[in-house]
Amino acid sequence: MPECDNPLWPCAMTGAAACLAGCTGVSVVIHGSSGCYYYPSTLLHVPIHGTFILENEVIFGSEERLLEVIGSLSGTGNRIAVITTCVPAILGEDVKAMLSGYDVLLVDSPGFLGDVESGYARALELLKPQVDPAAEGVNIDGACLLDPFSRGNVQEILRLLRLASVPCRTVMCDDTLENILRPARYTVGTNADFSSGVGETLGGTLGFEQTRATFSRVADIFPAADAGPVFSEIGRQEERLVRACDKYLQRFDPPSVAIFAGASYADFAAGTLKQYLDAEIRCIGLRNHGTLSRTAEYAGSLGEVKAMIGSAVPDLVIGSSFERSVSRNRAFSGIIPPLRGTVRLAPRPLAGINGTLAFMEDVLNACMDQKTRNR
Amino acid sequence: MSLKASPTLSSRSGGCTLTGALSVTTHVRDAVSIIHGPRGCAHHNFSLLHATGLDNDLAVIPDLVSSALGESDIVFGGEDALFRTIHAVCERDVSAVFVLSTCIVDTIGDDVEAVCAREYGVPVIPVSTAGFLGGTFHDGVNKALISLAGIAPPIEHDRSVNIIGEMNLEYEVEENFAEVLRLLTLLGIPAGIRFVHNLRFDEIGMLGGAQLNILRDPSLVPVGEFLKARFGTPYISSFPHGLSGTLTFLKSVADACRVDGSRAMGIEQALQGEILADFADLGRSRAVFFGPVTDPVSFLAAQEAADALHIRVGSDPGACPLPVHPAVGTAGVKRMLHCWRRTLHA
Repeated sequence: MPECDNPLWPCAMTGAAACLAGCTGVSVVIHGSSGCYYYPSTLLHVPIHGTFILENEVIFGSEERLLEVIGSLSGTGNRIAVITTCVPAILGEDVKAMLSGYDVLLVDSPGFLGDVESGYARALELLKPQVDPAAEGVNIDGACLLDPFSRGNVQEILRLLRLASVPCRTVMCDDTLENILRPARYTVGTNADFSSGVGETLGGTLGFEQTRATFSRVADIFPAADAGPVFSEIGRQEERLVRACDKYLQRFDPPSVAIFAGASYADFAAGTLKQYLDAEIRCIGLRNHGTLSRTAEYAGSLGEVKAMIGSAVPDLVIGSSFERSVSRNRAFSGIIPPLRGTVRLAPRPLAGINGTLAFMEDVLNACMDQKTRNR
Repeated sequence: MSLKASPTLSSRSGGCTLTGALSVTTHVRDAVSIIHGPRGCAHHNFSLLHATGLDNDLAVIPDLVSSALGESDIVFGGEDALFRTIHAVCERDVSAVFVLSTCIVDTIGDDVEAVCAREYGVPVIPVSTAGFLGGTFHDGVNKALISLAGIAPPIEHDRSVNIIGEMNLEYEVEENFAEVLRLLTLLGIPAGIRFVHNLRFDEIGMLGGAQLNILRDPSLVPVGEFLKARFGTPYISSFPHGLSGTLTFLKSVADACRVDGSRAMGIEQALQGEILADFADLGRSRAVFFGPVTDPVSFLAAQEAADALHIRVGSDPGACPLPVHPAVGTAGVKRMLHCWRRTLHA
């Protein structure tokens, strides 16, 4: 594997932590050094635990320390999940045997195995959610603590499900462990990059078109559902969006755009900008190895991002605060982590009706601000 | 019988050695820091440094390169990957390269120093993060500062005073420096280099020229001792904390630099009096201290300010919780008092 300057995406261990820390009723223990603990701890904004192993535990064995930490968490009523980091993964210790006396989930997800999505998937494999045929409602999929839009997405889809009179069974993976282990039969998605594969998917909710199609399927499946209010809101809000975009286009040319995100959000951003602003999508750099319906290339380092922006010369950059740092005074809108340097308090969605509105609102304001600044 | 020494809690929770070292090396602006390990370690630190840089209004992006070790490198050894990475980085326009190892690399036993000792055409400096898992953030800072100080040659002393080991990740790093600079200016003493904060590689050569080094905090005493042994430069072990601490600091610097500090101390005392008068409305309040910091020095500074304003500090029910900040200098105390006013009047 060649060297990489300023890598932009977290490791597999962080992905596993993001999945398990979303399960209420699970105490996550990072089995590794303090550095491996602090990063997911600060990124996920939920309490997690660490063994903080030291050099002598690497030499003499980490069993005593691991059991000490697990012992201190026993009795809380929570299920304990242990995630191994790079060093314990190669020490050759039989961690599974060490933990045989405890009801503990063990995820072997050292950082060198890959990126955040692979760790997330490994943790989900371990949980093995089993559809409960008797469970009512649908599951909301793709909620990941790493995603700054996750909480907003869930709130928005819950709102739309309520409008359609359909209950939500489980939010994968931001729910009680009990619900996560026994989801309902049908699932609607938010961010497909963190898809659980649980249940039969009824579609995603990124963009008006996808949301409409998905709620149409929801209405077909659930006899008591009424998707009418959702469709009617989509109609009203799409009209407002079209008016705002037309007003922009009366004064300005469509923006040329460089997009950097996971495959799911990148596809949504490109499709929405093309449809409503006739934007020219000059390049898409993917953080992960997902697939999408447009031309895109992997951009996992800041060097690759800089080169793509330098070659595309876009008016608008969509990405994270890493991209913003190398975008000079171009218009910018953030859709993937990290989103640093701005205050973000309210949960904002990208999914559902409000997600599209929030995204386009941000884009239009950024583009107009940039035009004004450059006068 | 267990042969293991009982590890202290502080070394477990003291942060990552690598992050500490990077908080120093990434402030040498024309150098590159290579992190020899999996990409994840570099990403974690890049993300952290990027975030704190934005908080401190720094537009500069830290230049980190990962040797990006994968599973096969872990099994067969990562020295070839490190050599390739150093070689590739040295082909860029860089003044120096720092090489920092990670937990996994020290565990598999890569000989990082041997790889760095090969000829690359630019200085390649290994920063020892040995003791990897047992080290703390502060160990990383100290090791990086000592490694970099080892590059500087002894030179003739001048009148300047160096600032050593600023906490580059702290939110108020620039404000704290500005306060120390203000105090030095009151004494008529020029500031030397900020070792290491936003520095060029060749500026490190000026390190030995100062007549005095001021350390950011006492955890840097090993660095102060190293500089004293190498350049004969005495040091003051901490930035000033609290009102009386600031006056003591002025006196210590004046004595060490053999200047008359009485005028500066008079001006500072008058300024402190004006500030306390401005916050007289806080008097007679009942309060209890809480974080965000818990070190005794900050609590003493807070207690001194509370006493001067006649704020009764205790733990009785109904007492207003007042935040204790690391108040560097008189300006730091003033900022803390603004927070207290907001809390007491909320």
